[in-house]
Amino acid sequence: MKYIMIVDDSPTIRTSVEYTIKDEGYAIEQAENGADALEKIENLRERGDEIALCIVDINMPVMDGITFVKEFRTMDRFTPILILTTESEEDKIKAGKEAGASGWIVKPFRPEGLVEVLKKLIG
Amino acid sequence: MIKSTSKRFGKVLYILYPGDYYATRENCVLGTVTGSCVAVCLYDSTRRIGGMGHFIVPGALGTEEIYRDQIASHGITSMEYIIGEIVKLGGDRKYLRAKIFGASYLQDDESRIHGVSLATMRFMHEYFTIEKIPVEVDDLGGNARRKLYFIPTTGRVFRKVLRHNEESSEFIRLEREYIEHTFERRGTYGKVILFE
Repeated sequence: MKYIMIVDDSPTIRTSVEYTIKDEGYAIEQAENGADALEKIENLRERGDEIALCIVDINMPVMDGITFVKEFRTMDRFTPILILTTESEEDKIKAGKEAGASGWIVKPFRPEGLVEVLKKLIG
Repeated sequence: MIKSTSKRFGKVLYILYPGDYYATRENCVLGTVTGSCVAVCLYDSTRRIGGMGHFIVPGALGTEEIYRDQIASHGITSMEYIIGEIVKLGGDRKYLRAKIFGASYLQDDESRIHGVSLATMRFMHEYFTIEKIPVEVDDLGGNARRKLYFIPTTGRVFRKVLRHNEESSEFIRLEREYIEHTFERRGTYGKVILFE
C-alpha cells in the first residue's frame, strides 16, 4: 500500500490535511514530530508498504521538520517531502531546500492548492 | 507590539496590539486590551515558557468541524503562530495550559461583529478540544472590553473589565483597523513553492 505521511504536532492541522487529501487514492499515516515519523516510516516499510509523500511541519518538539528532512534523506533520496508551515522567511525556505525538501507551502493553505501540488509531486 | 516598563509589576512590559503574538521565557509581563478579538494566553509552567496572541476569526463559521472550514483555517493559523513561537523556545503543546479572554459584542455593525464574536468563541472551544489543551480560564463574550496582564513564566493573569471606552481608545481604533484588514485578507492563502 502507498502511504502519505502527515507530520505535524497539531492534531487540528493533521486532521485538516488528511481531510483535504483523503480522496487522492493513498493511505494516510499521521505522526506528531519528526522522530515519530521516522519510526512509523520504518515500521511501514518493514511490513512492505511504500511512502509516496511526506507532508511536514517545521516547528515541532522532539525533532523539527528540517532535521526530519535531513534524516530522511540519509535513507531515501527520492520520495518527495512537502513542507507545510507558518514560516515564510527566505532563509528558512532556503534551509528547507538545501536539506532536501521538494516544496514549501505557507499556512493557511488553500485546499485545492495542496491537492494540485500533491498531484504534481506524485500524480 | 511595543516594549515598555510596568511600574505595577516591576518588570518589562510588552504591549500586544490586535494581530500581534509573542512568546518568551523572560520574566516579564504581556499586556493587551481585548474587544471583539480574543486574547489567548498559553503557558507551560514546568518549562516556564508562555505566549500571548491577539486575533479574530474573520467571519461566521459553517456547520462543519473547524478543520473543514476555510474561515476557521485563519484562526488555526493564528494559533499556529503563537504555539510555533513557544515550540521554538523549547515548549511542547502537550504541556500547555490556556486562558482565553475577549470576543465581546461591541461594535456598531452589530450583525457582523456578533457573528465574529460567536465564531471566535466557537472556534476557541473546538480548537482547544481537538488539541486537548486544557482551558483554565474561559472568559469570552459579554459586552465590555478587558484589560489583561499576563505573566508568561507562571501563567498568572490579571484582568480588569473596562466600562469606559476612553480607557482604551487607541486599542479601539487599532482593533477596528485590524478587523477590517483581516476581513479584506481572509481569501488570501500562503505562498506555494516547488523546488527544482
